[in-house]
Amino acid sequence: MNWHHIGILYRRELRSALRERTIVINGILLPIFLYPVMLWVMFTGLTFVQGVNEGFVSRIAVEVGPPAAHASLLDTLAAQESVEIVAGPGSTSDDPLPAERWDESLAGGELDAVVSFVEVEGEAAAALPDNFRVQIRYDRAEERSRQARSRVEEVVGEHRERWMGQEAQARGLDEAGRAVFAVTGQNVSSSEELGQLLLGQMLGFFLVIMVALGCFIPSVDTTAGERERSTWETLMTVSASRLSIVTAKYLYVATLGIVAGLLNVVALMVSVGAVVRPLLEGSQQNVDFSIPLLAAPVMLAGAVALALFFAAAMMILAAFARSFKDGQAMVTPVYWLVFVPLLLGDQTDVNLSLGTALVPIANVTLMIRDAIGGVFLWPWIGVTLAVTLGLAGGCVLVARQVLRFEEFLLGEFDGSFWRFAKEKLFA
Amino acid sequence: MTEAAPTVRVAELRKTFYDESRGEVKAVDGISFDCRPGQVFGLLGANGAGKTTTLRMLSTVLRPTGGSATLMGHDVRTDPEAVRRSLGFYSASTALYPRLTARETVEFFTRINGYPSDRVEERVQELVDRFGIAEYEDGRVEKLSSGMKQKVSIARTVAHDPPVLIFDEPTVGLDVMNALEMVKVIRELKEEGKTILFSSHIMSEVEKLCDRIGILHRGRLLALGTLDELRDRTGEHYLEDVFLDYVKQAEGIEGEAELGPAGALEEAGAPATESTGPEAAGP
Repeated sequence: MNWHHIGILYRRELRSALRERTIVINGILLPIFLYPVMLWVMFTGLTFVQGVNEGFVSRIAVEVGPPAAHASLLDTLAAQESVEIVAGPGSTSDDPLPAERWDESLAGGELDAVVSFVEVEGEAAAALPDNFRVQIRYDRAEERSRQARSRVEEVVGEHRERWMGQEAQARGLDEAGRAVFAVTGQNVSSSEELGQLLLGQMLGFFLVIMVALGCFIPSVDTTAGERERSTWETLMTVSASRLSIVTAKYLYVATLGIVAGLLNVVALMVSVGAVVRPLLEGSQQNVDFSIPLLAAPVMLAGAVALALFFAAAMMILAAFARSFKDGQAMVTPVYWLVFVPLLLGDQTDVNLSLGTALVPIANVTLMIRDAIGGVFLWPWIGVTLAVTLGLAGGCVLVARQVLRFEEFLLGEFDGSFWRFAKEKLFA
Repeated sequence: MTEAAPTVRVAELRKTFYDESRGEVKAVDGISFDCRPGQVFGLLGANGAGKTTTLRMLSTVLRPTGGSATLMGHDVRTDPEAVRRSLGFYSASTALYPRLTARETVEFFTRINGYPSDRVEERVQELVDRFGIAEYEDGRVEKLSSGMKQKVSIARTVAHDPPVLIFDEPTVGLDVMNALEMVKVIRELKEEGKTILFSSHIMSEVEKLCDRIGILHRGRLLALGTLDELRDRTGEHYLEDVFLDYVKQAEGIEGEAELGPAGALEEAGAPATESTGPEAAGP
């Protein structure tokens, strides 16, 4: 292996890559602009939908009104600006919806809920005269209908509280005396910890995906693409050794993976600060998006180890393909496979331990999440990096084995790694 | 005047592939020849004769199954990197990097093939001037016309000033003007003292360019000699007829010891020896 040759080849690869639109978009522009745009769209969309929903007036039909002792409840409901009683008791409509069309209208979306104040019979009625039960028929598949149910529940809940208060007072119980067995919660997490929780879940997840995405196109371009462009044989006749050529390509793919991953982290941090924080300022949440300084080298180490692994794995598969398109098809399953362990790594109740440190990809996600939360379990961090680098090393060994076969250099095996493995490795 | 020692020596070179449907395929079956500086050695054969496989073995892209081959004294099996340093390889299947400019392409191949770093710029400029690339030296290869690309390809082949050059069917896909230009460049390189291995199935090119010709058929070298020697042996004037004579002979008595068309005994598959050519008088 000749590092002078590797340097020349590496620079050639990078120079070509930076002139390829797909690579620049996926490896640089997407990681930079994905989050600001995605977060802005997400929050704007949510705010818009929320606003639209809040602006809806819930159209309600009352099938049976409440008992006379609770007639005020119907008045309160009718007085709500966000509720319109379109039929039945309490309706002020000039053209009320006929009762036989209520279910049909509910299903069709012209009516949001049908409410019945049903008198309670039996023991419950004996214990409390004028007791009633509220039955709400609604369409759970419709946001508007779900909202109508919530609004009715809210009005009934307030009425219940008021009535209970009056009853308690009549029995000599004041407000304080009535509040027995009350449950209160106290959030002990600081605003910083809340921010770290959110960042930990997002950064770990997206760093892994972006490193994989950053490796994806370059790994296909530098192998299958090279074959498709007929530059593969040109390269095989230069005086650099095969090992130097492959090493340069490998380092180039890994570099773009690392760059994509790290740009992504920076973009996410900036986006969260610029987009999410102002949006949360209006709410009750106080969230501080900052991470411990020591998390940065841990994230970098994770990105490097993952990039080395993804680059090797993707290059092995793509190197057999005869065209860029075939290469993409061969590498795509690897890209999607990344998501399976990622889901484990993104569980908040799973921590980095010896067991989880042995699960590839999930371990890096957990390691990053812990580091962002200020938890540095160095032995398990070591195991995580060793496992990831071990996998990368395993892939490099397979690649070395593959390079020995000149049929591979000539693009045989129908462009399939699996056929090569069947015929040469496991034969 | 003594003749220079051969820079390319090929002895009993073999290449066998395994094919699922056909079994063992002898793509090159024990061929021998050599070539000296200032000579163009032409490998003539139909498609599938084994020309490209032979040249790929000499350029170390493929590893020989048997026999030996050396370029500038470097063995293709044991010292492939040194072989490639001494070699420029051009073929229709060796394309250029589309996203590099013409100048960057030439510079890349000059550097990677071990040209002294402090003289790379000077060498690149020399090649740009020589092949008339200056006009489009900063244009990306993907934007160049096929004629321009051809010039850049030749420049990158000779970038590191290698003593041995291989041109594998270099005029395939070129129009008449570009093919003529290619022939002209090969002649110039020959005059500069380069050892040139040239393969083609176009008889007129071989006639025009080659000092010595090897006729390949089904992996075997049927005949070897100068054009005049081959004419004498077959009694044919045109190379096309010479070629057909040899091929018909080989097809007729396939697998047995073959009589050369002119009655000279040439053992099928064995090296066509130098004894029939003027080079036999060499050092």
